[in-house]
Amino acid sequence: MEIPILKIEDFLIVSFQTELSDDEIDKLREDILDKIKETNARGLIIDITALKIVDSFMARSLSSIATTATLLGAKTVVVGMQPAVALTLVELGLRIKWNIQTALNLERGINLLREALKSEKDVVYE
Amino acid sequence: MTEKEEFVEELSGLLEDNATELKKQWVKEMTEMGLLEKLSSLEIEQQSTAIYDTCVLTIKTGMYEAAKKYAREMAKKGVLEAMTVDQIIMGMLKLRDVYGRFIFYKYQKDVEKLYKVLGVYEPVANRILSIVALAFVEEREMKITDQQQAMLTLSTPVLQIRDQILVLPLIGTIDSARAAQIVEQLLNSIVDTQASVVIIDITGVPIIDTAVANHLIKTIQAAKMLGADTIITGISPANAQTLVTLGVDLSMMTTRGSLRSGVKLADEMLKLVVMEKR
Repeated sequence: MEIPILKIEDFLIVSFQTELSDDEIDKLREDILDKIKETNARGLIIDITALKIVDSFMARSLSSIATTATLLGAKTVVVGMQPAVALTLVELGLRIKWNIQTALNLERGINLLREALKSEKDVVYE
Repeated sequence: MTEKEEFVEELSGLLEDNATELKKQWVKEMTEMGLLEKLSSLEIEQQSTAIYDTCVLTIKTGMYEAAKKYAREMAKKGVLEAMTVDQIIMGMLKLRDVYGRFIFYKYQKDVEKLYKVLGVYEPVANRILSIVALAFVEEREMKITDQQQAMLTLSTPVLQIRDQILVLPLIGTIDSARAAQIVEQLLNSIVDTQASVVIIDITGVPIIDTAVANHLIKTIQAAKMLGADTIITGISPANAQTLVTLGVDLSMMTTRGSLRSGVKLADEMLKLVVMEKR
């Protein structure tokens, strides 16, 4: 299943609508990274509101997507994690690495990125 | 009619014929032991009759339903009126002794018959005793479970003090069951209220050990995953020392001394300014 990667302002939005197989996640990771390169995006928002289950592979993939995206210059925000998912991940002993930022919903995620990018823009190079 | 049934008949007949005497004897011995002090004479009369009726009925029918019902009532009453388990079990033991001795006395001339009647009497008497004891244990356990449940629901309110700030005052000891309940409730409240800062106040937690610290860290992580930051307030000096001595790593926790400074920090994080009205 093709997952759309949307561009808005300076960043990309990926919204997961169904549980993905491990292969699909790998494919998605490549797509996202290509798209970041292609659009020169400064931020990436991953929306997992619809996910009721996040397994350890998924969690690890999210973390690695964030790390690589940061290397390419895009700040990553995971938004909309369900309470049950957060509980399970903590019980599994998985922490979202601190290079991933989190936000309660898409709107807050966008605001968070805007703030972060704005402060970067404030730097003036002479 | 089998031989056993015959003795059942005989035994119940014997007990029925001597009802008044048996009841009186029991009351007398109970009073001597000081076990009936809290009851009025009317209550004593009712009690002795109820016990007597239950025993005879049980022996007659071989069914323990009546005994169970009686035991449950006694248990409720005992717990309510603060009669000790000891008192009630002593009373039942005394009852067994009184009837037993009476049987011995009646059949002292005929040992053969005595054995057979005792064969009917003893299992019933023992069973009734165990039913009463069990009913008490059950009643207590039920009470304890109820109280625990009530404590759980009462003890973790999540308060919304600003549009995006929640306060979770923790009071009392925190065990795994309660910790799990706290996290769940907090996460759901975060989603419901769309809060982005949570202040956990642990002024009311008497002891903070590694387990409690671990629960707190887990809670913070889970909240972080939803996108909410957590501030811990109200760690007492003694608890702070314990945590340092235990070597618990709290570097990822944001802490403040008092709830007040926690709220201040939360305001700052949200860029809120509180000022006097002009």
